[in-house]
Amino acid sequence: MSRGGRHVYSALSVLAAGALVLTGCSKGGSDTGTNDKKDQQDAKRQQASIKFGGTADSTGPAAPVPGAKSGGAMEVLQRDSYAHLDPGQIYVSDEGSLATLLHRGLTGYKTTSNDGHQHEVVGDLATDSGTTADGGKTWKYTLKDGIKFQDGTPITSKDIRWSIERLFAPFINQGPTYVQQWLADTSGATYRNLLKDGPYKGKHLPNSVLETPDDKTIVFHFKKSHPDLPYALAMAGYAVVSQKGDTKERYDKNPVVTGPYKIQSFKSGKSMVLVKNPNWDPKTDPIRHQYVDQFNITFNQQFETSTKSLLADSGADQAGISFNNQVDAGNLSQVLHDPKMKARTVSGYQPYVGQMNINMSHPAMKDKTVREAIAYALPITPFVRAYGGNDAMEVAGGLISPTVSGYDAAFDPWGKKKNPGGDPAKAKALLQKAGKLNMKLTFGYINTPEGQQYSTAMAAGLKKAGFDVQRQEIPAETYYDQVSKLNNNYDIFHTAWGADWPSASTVLPPLYDGRVIADGAQNYSQVNDPKINSEIDRINTITDPVKSAAEWEKLDQYIVKDVVNVVPTAYYKQVQIAGSKVGGLVYDDVIGGVDPRRLYIK
Amino acid sequence: MLRFLVRRIIGAVVILFLLSIVTFVLFFGVPRDPALMMCGKTCNPDAIANIHHVLGLDKPITEQYWIFLHNLVMGSNQFAQGPCPAPCFGYSYHTNEQVWATLMDRLPTTVSLTLGAAVCFLFVGLGTGLLAAWRRGTLIDKAATAGAMVISSLQIYFLGPLALAILVYQTHWFDKPDYTDFTHDPVSWFTGLIIPWVILSTIFAAQYTRMARSSMIEQLQEEHVRTARAKGMSRAYVFFRYAWRGSLIPIVTIFGIDLGSLFGGAIITEYTFGLPGLGNLAVQSVFFSDLPLLLGVMLFSASMILLFNIIVDAAYAFIDPRVRLS
Repeated sequence: MSRGGRHVYSALSVLAAGALVLTGCSKGGSDTGTNDKKDQQDAKRQQASIKFGGTADSTGPAAPVPGAKSGGAMEVLQRDSYAHLDPGQIYVSDEGSLATLLHRGLTGYKTTSNDGHQHEVVGDLATDSGTTADGGKTWKYTLKDGIKFQDGTPITSKDIRWSIERLFAPFINQGPTYVQQWLADTSGATYRNLLKDGPYKGKHLPNSVLETPDDKTIVFHFKKSHPDLPYALAMAGYAVVSQKGDTKERYDKNPVVTGPYKIQSFKSGKSMVLVKNPNWDPKTDPIRHQYVDQFNITFNQQFETSTKSLLADSGADQAGISFNNQVDAGNLSQVLHDPKMKARTVSGYQPYVGQMNINMSHPAMKDKTVREAIAYALPITPFVRAYGGNDAMEVAGGLISPTVSGYDAAFDPWGKKKNPGGDPAKAKALLQKAGKLNMKLTFGYINTPEGQQYSTAMAAGLKKAGFDVQRQEIPAETYYDQVSKLNNNYDIFHTAWGADWPSASTVLPPLYDGRVIADGAQNYSQVNDPKINSEIDRINTITDPVKSAAEWEKLDQYIVKDVVNVVPTAYYKQVQIAGSKVGGLVYDDVIGGVDPRRLYIK
Repeated sequence: MLRFLVRRIIGAVVILFLLSIVTFVLFFGVPRDPALMMCGKTCNPDAIANIHHVLGLDKPITEQYWIFLHNLVMGSNQFAQGPCPAPCFGYSYHTNEQVWATLMDRLPTTVSLTLGAAVCFLFVGLGTGLLAAWRRGTLIDKAATAGAMVISSLQIYFLGPLALAILVYQTHWFDKPDYTDFTHDPVSWFTGLIIPWVILSTIFAAQYTRMARSSMIEQLQEEHVRTARAKGMSRAYVFFRYAWRGSLIPIVTIFGIDLGSLFGGAIITEYTFGLPGLGNLAVQSVFFSDLPLLLGVMLFSASMILLFNIIVDAAYAFIDPRVRLS
């Protein structure tokens, strides 16, 4: 899934915190009016049905949205301006949502139900989701007929080659790196050595790596098998870039697009207007629609402002929406308690899963009994409350989110789902057994209103179990920089991580592979467990997505229950709202928010 | 006069120079790396090194500072994003846009907000203050003083959302605050800014009421005023000819500083009403660890404050002939 990186996330939480401070708004906790059961069931349906589609699935046009009408202008209220429009630079959610209207790639997610919960990966520019005859080492794609850029130029395999090759150039530094690393058969950033300047100095990737035998065919050659390629290519970061129209750094402000909408004007930090792209042919596109004539996007709309504007439901805001703003915590319970307002909302899971990291590099934390005591004692209720209750957070059992294949709702080794307040008595007994009663525990917490709130209550819970908890605040702006330093002095600290696509292969390896421990990397707990490492290698070669999902879940359970380097806290959720004239309002699990492609004006 | 101006301008340049050094050092002193922010999810030391190199952050700080100064004065053609004519603050890390162009793009919003609010608060604030002084001790004076006291203790982040809730969302009497270029559509420009103007000027007007009142009362007790009255001049004549000019001095001083800082960005007002001005830009530059933008906004805002200080000092000579610039 093309959702935000951890640093972006930290930035966003800072922004959110700022909004609270500046508007003098206080959070009201709401523990009622939940859609828990429905959300969970919906998520379950999705993982059960996701598959890689063939030619028939990949043929346009997309099935019409029931009741949809064409025409009209939709007002879009967004908090942050778009920093990147070049597909190669797109990773975060805001730009990912926008990209669903602008950019097309070889593959994409097609919703196969009208509720946004069932998906399959299909060919978008390609005729199918990709064919492989050798278990994922060689992947072949054929381009459809009639696909064009906004300027009317046909899209050929040369453009696809160009789009992939330019990702190796130094100026592309914000998008995903999966496919580059797979092509270069390396981890880290050394993949750039394969094509140092990208295609800009006349060099190209050899045919043994990326092959384009004719105008329609693209073949990827990997050294190892990568069964996840159809997922990866569906990320906005791998959408096509026009070779003819490539302006390098300047493409980021003025891309040549392929989707149903093109950019009529973009005033960075102020506004953007999208209009219909006449060179987009619905017959080639199984995924998108083009109902609305025009999207008028305005930036600098804080969550509270956009919520209030859309709640007021007057004037142009009746046909108003936000692709990414949530209903702010202060208005959440009011919105969900009023049936009329609630009817205009959609809710669902964000891809993030929260976890309390236990710093395995500290000698005191090497005792597994101590870590088990932390796991039993840690109360999750304060975390859920701090973010606005059960509509914003759901207590987690494992590290795999409900929207990711392999999620096991029954897994709950520390009893958090049943008893989110923690079990200090059991924890105290364990500490006593280990002879570590009243041991010092340094808790680094993020200095946001939420962080202050939940860390105080969590510390109290841990104290009850016999830990001598020392809370240490970390400024929100530098939080992730500090906790990802190898020599940080925090015993426990909280982080959140989201999957890039609905497979745990984008969750467990980056977070728990002991061979990628480094300053600034994401193995926050610094766990280096031989079994985790070898299991990652083994599961990465399984080509059957259903089988690998089951194996990832087993590894998840091993990490949470047997290694205990992290304690899962919560699955992040959100509620979004639209004006009364907005039709086709659906929360899409893959986008992790409103699906802009289905919207129409009633 | 000329000597005065030259001296003050040189002084201002020195202050800006020192400020730029302090900003630079502070930025690198904070344990926060802009590269980490841009690095995305699959971040690793090599990727960070690459970003450092692309941004020029792998060079020694002194060299980076020298390049910054050089570009500021001479402009630069070294940026991959395109040419950067002087005054060149470089390109934003976060948006990849030319900082100076961004500042100029946001300036009209801030200028519109500031000038509109300034007209309101000067008119209302001074008017009420003078009235209160003229009618000192009466009910009008007491009401004005008490009202000003209450209002000036309020904050924009309280009044702003309150005004929005009542005037926009509940009653729909006013348009939602929004900025439209004056040249594009003057009516939308006006209607979109009414609420921000009113809220911003309400708080300032209260302060100016108190200031104008006390300054006027002080002036009315001066000996030259008493002499003028003793010579038989009418109360109104003395009030407006003698006391008024003298009472303006402290007000002009404060007004200059207020205007300067507002031109540098009314941060909270812009943030509350979602106006794309310099204040919002300042917030954004801090959140995204965007050094070029941060330096640009800082120095621009500081220049505004310094500029208006110089103007105020020069204006003293015109308001009060007793002041000699030397």
